[in-house]
Amino acid sequence: MENQQMSKPFLSIQHVEKVYPNGEKAVYDFNLDVAKNEFIVIVGPSGCGKSTTLRMIAGLEDITSGDMFLEDELLNYKPSNERRMAIVFQSYALYPQMNVYDNIAFPLTINKYPMPVCNKDLVALGEVKKLLSTGIETIVKAVEGALNAKIKSKDRIEKIAMLFEISPEASKKLFDLYADTFKESEDDSNKDEDILAKWNSALDGEIAEKKAALEAEGIKLNDNLYEVDDDGIVKIEHRKYTSYEIKVKVYETAEKLDLIPYLDKLPKELSGGQMQRVALGRAIIKNVPVFMMDEPLSNLDAKLRLTMRSEIVKLHKQIGATTIYVTHDQIEAMTMASRIVVMSRGFIQQIGTPEEVYNNPDNIFVAKFIGSPAMNFLSAKFNRTDRVLELDGMRIALDKKFIEKHDKFYAEKKAQLEELNKDFNEQTKEKILRLLSTTGEDKDVKRNKKTEKKLIAKIKALIEKICKKNTSDVVERPFEQEVCERKLRELTEYLTESHNLTIGIRSERLKIEKLSEVNREKLPKNSFIVKPTVCELLGGEYSVHFDFCGKDLVGKFDAKEKISADDEIVISFAPEDLYIFDPVTGEVIR
Amino acid sequence: MIKQKAEKRRKTKSEKTIIREKTTSFIILFVFCVIWCIPFLYMIGTSFKSELDLQVHPELLFPSSPSEWTLNNYKGFLVQASGEAGYLIQWIFNSLWSSTASVVLTVLFDLVTAYALVFLKFKGKNFIIGFLILWMTVPGVIGTAPSFAIYSQVKNSLQVNQNPTLLYMYIYMWLIVPGLSGIFNMLLMRSFFLSIPKEIVESAKCDGASNMLIFRRIVCPLAKSTIMLIILFVFIGSWNNLVFPQLLLSEGKYGWKTITVGMTVYTGGSGLDSSGVAMAASLFSMIPIIIVFIITQNKMIDGMASTGVKG
Repeated sequence: MENQQMSKPFLSIQHVEKVYPNGEKAVYDFNLDVAKNEFIVIVGPSGCGKSTTLRMIAGLEDITSGDMFLEDELLNYKPSNERRMAIVFQSYALYPQMNVYDNIAFPLTINKYPMPVCNKDLVALGEVKKLLSTGIETIVKAVEGALNAKIKSKDRIEKIAMLFEISPEASKKLFDLYADTFKESEDDSNKDEDILAKWNSALDGEIAEKKAALEAEGIKLNDNLYEVDDDGIVKIEHRKYTSYEIKVKVYETAEKLDLIPYLDKLPKELSGGQMQRVALGRAIIKNVPVFMMDEPLSNLDAKLRLTMRSEIVKLHKQIGATTIYVTHDQIEAMTMASRIVVMSRGFIQQIGTPEEVYNNPDNIFVAKFIGSPAMNFLSAKFNRTDRVLELDGMRIALDKKFIEKHDKFYAEKKAQLEELNKDFNEQTKEKILRLLSTTGEDKDVKRNKKTEKKLIAKIKALIEKICKKNTSDVVERPFEQEVCERKLRELTEYLTESHNLTIGIRSERLKIEKLSEVNREKLPKNSFIVKPTVCELLGGEYSVHFDFCGKDLVGKFDAKEKISADDEIVISFAPEDLYIFDPVTGEVIR
Repeated sequence: MIKQKAEKRRKTKSEKTIIREKTTSFIILFVFCVIWCIPFLYMIGTSFKSELDLQVHPELLFPSSPSEWTLNNYKGFLVQASGEAGYLIQWIFNSLWSSTASVVLTVLFDLVTAYALVFLKFKGKNFIIGFLILWMTVPGVIGTAPSFAIYSQVKNSLQVNQNPTLLYMYIYMWLIVPGLSGIFNMLLMRSFFLSIPKEIVESAKCDGASNMLIFRRIVCPLAKSTIMLIILFVFIGSWNNLVFPQLLLSEGKYGWKTITVGMTVYTGGSGLDSSGVAMAASLFSMIPIIIVFIITQNKMIDGMASTGVKG
């Protein structure tokens, strides 16, 4: 129990599901534990439920079932503003009538934040005293400079406050002290030490006076002059930020994002990248532990997307907030994520680091989706007796280990499906749907037809039902059960006989050589000769398309040499680079 | 040199069509403009005509000779013979305050209703919208007789008649309040709210804003242009309203009338029949509408420009 407590995740999402009011299920059984400071990217094709998941976490969408915890705090019933999260939308969602400053400051202006209770004047005096101990010379100079500058007194005070990072009240006190000292004696012969001593004594007197007044009212103070209760703990009040505090914070945030020159512009005057940065600023200023981004870069042009991508990663490192990022772009996922969640049709397909997901895809869907250009897929015949994969005349030898793995895999899968087939209910239906989402086969076509909202279709269905009832008692089996039985039949066959397997290979693992006299005589193992259909020059390399076994494959070729569609090329690969998938369940065997 | 070249250059086909289209549309618009302006000009001109000109030259737009220009018509209604202010000022005041009240209340009602219908989730929302649209199909005039029946019954049972101030307020309440139920403006507002990207409201909610705050600080400022449009519509509608006010104001004092009801005096066969004074009074009564139009029209364009939501 104790051990479990230790490794409690920062943000935990357990069995979250979403069913829309029209009965469509968007997210199935979403489980994810996020550690602190992680950068999670949820990736998948459009309509796979990734944005829905994000909106559920943010509290913009109701959860149908399941639980979510943030630092052991149940989030399910909390409104979105109490979830300590910030969200950045694809469309930026800036407030069009407010300028950049107001846009960034908006969250601060409307919320109350816990802050220590204090007597402002007294704390200001304390601040001035602390400041004086750092050296009087610079202070006097700065104040003098500010007085000489032709600006409003309010701006003057804020300038000094920003310079020394003190409150405006303290800054005002500095000006008062300065005025008192230099009005009385017009000669500038005041020595720094004298001034320091004078100011210190003045401050001490005032502090003592104020302290006594407060203590007379029965208020206790700590060393920082904050009010404390009887146990010596600082009292906390919830209040809004003052306009000066907001200003400081907005400038701080704007500086991080290089937005200072645009603070008084309206959103419509900004470019896409700047708007995106403002949206980020609005999230940053909230100072929350979780950031959520819903395809934040898809509205930008390609070049800007690259720079913003690295900027977001930089920002994440700087701020350290846990980030959940939704995108349909697998390159963004690969480059930014510390862990990737691949989704398809509402199911999680794989969770893992970019390396894991790229190098060890769990199933055919992940292998297809991650990587650019996409993985090459071929259908090969598995010959059990000879222990080889037959691929268009090529025979790729397989070791004994693979056969064992293969048999074990199919035995397991068969047992699982048999279990499902025995007792068919809603849960097992979902498992079949998951299987279909992995292989990419069509979902229930029949049922979609049935649920057509047209009245005629409904009446037809009703008539059919009545007729059937009268004639015979045939109960129509659900689509999923049919699939289950079909798959089970196939698996049983596969266990004993030779059958097809889907093999995949990454394009960079295909070795491409130009055919020459040298290698014509001595072709490497596992190789074949083709003519490329298209050769695309990408700069540093060619991406070479060619047809093999009726499939379009892509390989990479270093652009040091020229290559064209007229050349003949030799393609070879190492057998250990092959991924072998089961075509029935779509899962990886090796 | 360059200028000459530019002149010599043959115009492209699209340029030619543009010029042709512009010319034709200008001619058509100009003709319509003149047709629409003539009555207005006639009104202005007639209001300055002398008694003689009114009789002899009713066909002219403006007085026949410089000596026939006169301001007497304006004197007639602004200042009574006894030296007191004329009724027109009172009528304009009545119209002004009741129209303003209508505008303020309608905008408030429409904003709140539209916000609820667009941004809040509650059961039966679609039913309510459907019902309201259905309501629009009922012509307003149908309600006149029943409204009057209720009006007089409540008046009698409360015995409002005995106190003139109370009666005045009571009548004007009946002029203002039923107008608030207009659905058209609310639907106008609703369609604007629907055009606001949902993300803006969602992100405000995420920032911690309550509905009241979102309404006040985000949605309303965005809706400025539509609000201006509604102000214009409601103000003109209320200012020009005649049938129902005429019904209600048939009792009460002479000075209680609204401007439109008051103006009917000049069209009847009573002793006040004088087209010059009528024209002058009409012109005078149009001033507030023109002012409102100028203000709202300016702001309307402003508002439209600032709503540019990119996404």
